[in-house]
Amino acid sequence: MNRRTFLLGTFAGTAALALGVNLYSPEFSVPDEDEAKDYRLLFSVLLPVMLEGALPDVATHKLAAQNRTLDAINQSIAVLPDEQQAELFELLAMLENRLGLLVLTSSMTPLLLRSPAELTQMLESWRHSYFALLQTAYLGLRELVMASYYACPEHWSRLHYAKPELFK
Amino acid sequence: MAIIDPIVNGLNSGWLHTDASQLQENQSFEADIIIVGTGAGGGVAVEILTQAGLSVIMIEAGPLKSSSDFNMEERTAYPNLYQQAAAMKTADKAIGIFQGRAVGGSTTVNWTTSIRTPTEALAFWEQHKSVTGLNRESLDPWFEQMEQRLNIHEWNYEPNRNNGALKQGCINLGWDYTVIKRNVAGCWNTGYCGMGCPVNAKQSMLITTIPAALDKGAQLISRARVVKIEHHNGQVFALKAQALDVNLRPTDVELLFKAKHYILSAGAIHTPTLMMRSQVPDPHSLLGKRTFLHPTLLSGGVFADAINAHSGAPQSIYSDEFVWRDGAEGELGYKLEVPPVHPILIASKTLGYGTSHAELMSQFNQLQVTIALVRDGYHPDSQGGQVHLTSTGFALDYPLTDAFWRAARRAYASMAELQFSAGALKVLPISDGMPYLTSWQNAKESIAQMSLAPLRTVVASAHVMGGCPFGEDEKLSMVNSYGQSHYLENLSVMDGSIFPTSLGANPQLSIYGITARNATALAQRLTDGREHK
Repeated sequence: MNRRTFLLGTFAGTAALALGVNLYSPEFSVPDEDEAKDYRLLFSVLLPVMLEGALPDVATHKLAAQNRTLDAINQSIAVLPDEQQAELFELLAMLENRLGLLVLTSSMTPLLLRSPAELTQMLESWRHSYFALLQTAYLGLRELVMASYYACPEHWSRLHYAKPELFK
Repeated sequence: MAIIDPIVNGLNSGWLHTDASQLQENQSFEADIIIVGTGAGGGVAVEILTQAGLSVIMIEAGPLKSSSDFNMEERTAYPNLYQQAAAMKTADKAIGIFQGRAVGGSTTVNWTTSIRTPTEALAFWEQHKSVTGLNRESLDPWFEQMEQRLNIHEWNYEPNRNNGALKQGCINLGWDYTVIKRNVAGCWNTGYCGMGCPVNAKQSMLITTIPAALDKGAQLISRARVVKIEHHNGQVFALKAQALDVNLRPTDVELLFKAKHYILSAGAIHTPTLMMRSQVPDPHSLLGKRTFLHPTLLSGGVFADAINAHSGAPQSIYSDEFVWRDGAEGELGYKLEVPPVHPILIASKTLGYGTSHAELMSQFNQLQVTIALVRDGYHPDSQGGQVHLTSTGFALDYPLTDAFWRAARRAYASMAELQFSAGALKVLPISDGMPYLTSWQNAKESIAQMSLAPLRTVVASAHVMGGCPFGEDEKLSMVNSYGQSHYLENLSVMDGSIFPTSLGANPQLSIYGITARNATALAQRLTDGREHK
């Protein structure tokens, strides 16, 4: 599956609907739909890079896992305290804004138009930066993506892990 | 087999519980005693004070959740049961902090390790921090009382393989190790203590002291955050609280609480924050300072056979080989333990992304993780962190000092030596830039050279202590050795915030024992007028 197919899949949102954010943790509110869509696009660009090797190999399964993770990311953001949400939204807004991109990545090219190698280079430059701001941007995105991906029992098969079935 | 949920049964039997998220109008409450927080401190205090015949109201900012809600999934447990959905961090984001936020506080989610306050800590407090009356002889009866109450016993079953590796490494190297005492009754040995015990075996405050107090008529208000202590002329006259909605965001509903005596048990960070926000007298600027974390380093060992560190009692062995080796005030010591390994916890507390991270995760069941909890607050270069008020809450500055990094380097070496000795094929110190180490010789050389820095080195904490120290010298302490405020006659503090240093041991039993002593003294004072000085 190429990236374009994946993005179209994201916009169509069929997998997202099928998996349902509300199934995830019904007590917490779901972020505003428009806002959520924006971040879906941004994260849909980053996920294949950050989760390379973890996502399933079969194209349809990979698409479902990416979409499931996008739902989980929205849910993870929804339960963060206001201050952490505000910081994260600030970072995400910068990544969608040309000037913000210039500050964070020394390039105005939208992330959507960057190759996986370029995205990796961006993440690596943040990761090894001497600036705490860039390091925390890397760590914030990393923790959010990893926690959201591995929150989903659907993604545990490669770990050979399942929670015990105590009550059956 | 159906699991009986004692909370559901209790509520059906008529416990006085108000979920403040359901309130539509402002409301006032009155009792002999108001306790803010329901963790190890508040939970012990409420039972003792209720048994003494006093009317008590507990206020908890978190929700009332119980075994019916505990589905053994991190995605449910972290938002429901932990501060900031388990994503709480120091101001510079260099240390991730796990602290409970639900009825039962951290006792609902801790890993059951129960250790009496170390003698070295008690001696240091007496010599340097003006704490009086707390020594081995005077405190041990209180620990015995709480050990009986919470069924705290040595774990006499085979440790799981994660703990087993710690034990084997210690045996091979001739290092000290101890079989852990746990507060469990009828434990199923599943390994999910950190997500709320699904079978009510863990003898947390949630299922022991709090139900006992509710049975005797105590009242519980959940999802209400105390925002101000109203005080005047050395007396507290009310607490103001805000009701929270189901997402724990403030609603317009305000609550007012009045009592003869008030107890703060909101835990380190939140007790000092509340006092600072309420401008409680603090002439020596002590509040929020000297906040300790037992900042913790991680080392991953990959074994040939399955370790399955998610399964079985999460902590059953520890090693104190290095905790006090250089004396209390010497180089920072560290306690060796293991954590349970669950998907979100290990995915987020490791390094990198993409294929390298996926490869680490694919070895999930072969991964043995050892942790080193650094004993902070004794060495002159280990003054802990400082809580500051912000417009919306608080921030915790915790500088990681040179003394800490020296301890970290020694700890990584000890953990690698232990893991190789126990049979690890390779060891990964969880600090960015480190490769898998393939032998103890290789590890020794690499760790001596490794670069350690905030944000690059993963540092976590599950033990928040200090910020409102106890003692008799007002220059060093906010409350006396019984937890009674030096400045407000009817205010006490009973939680981990009173510790003037870290403990060098997991804190729950220290809080239980010291609170049992101090709450008993308070109950006597309030019921027959005798003073305890």
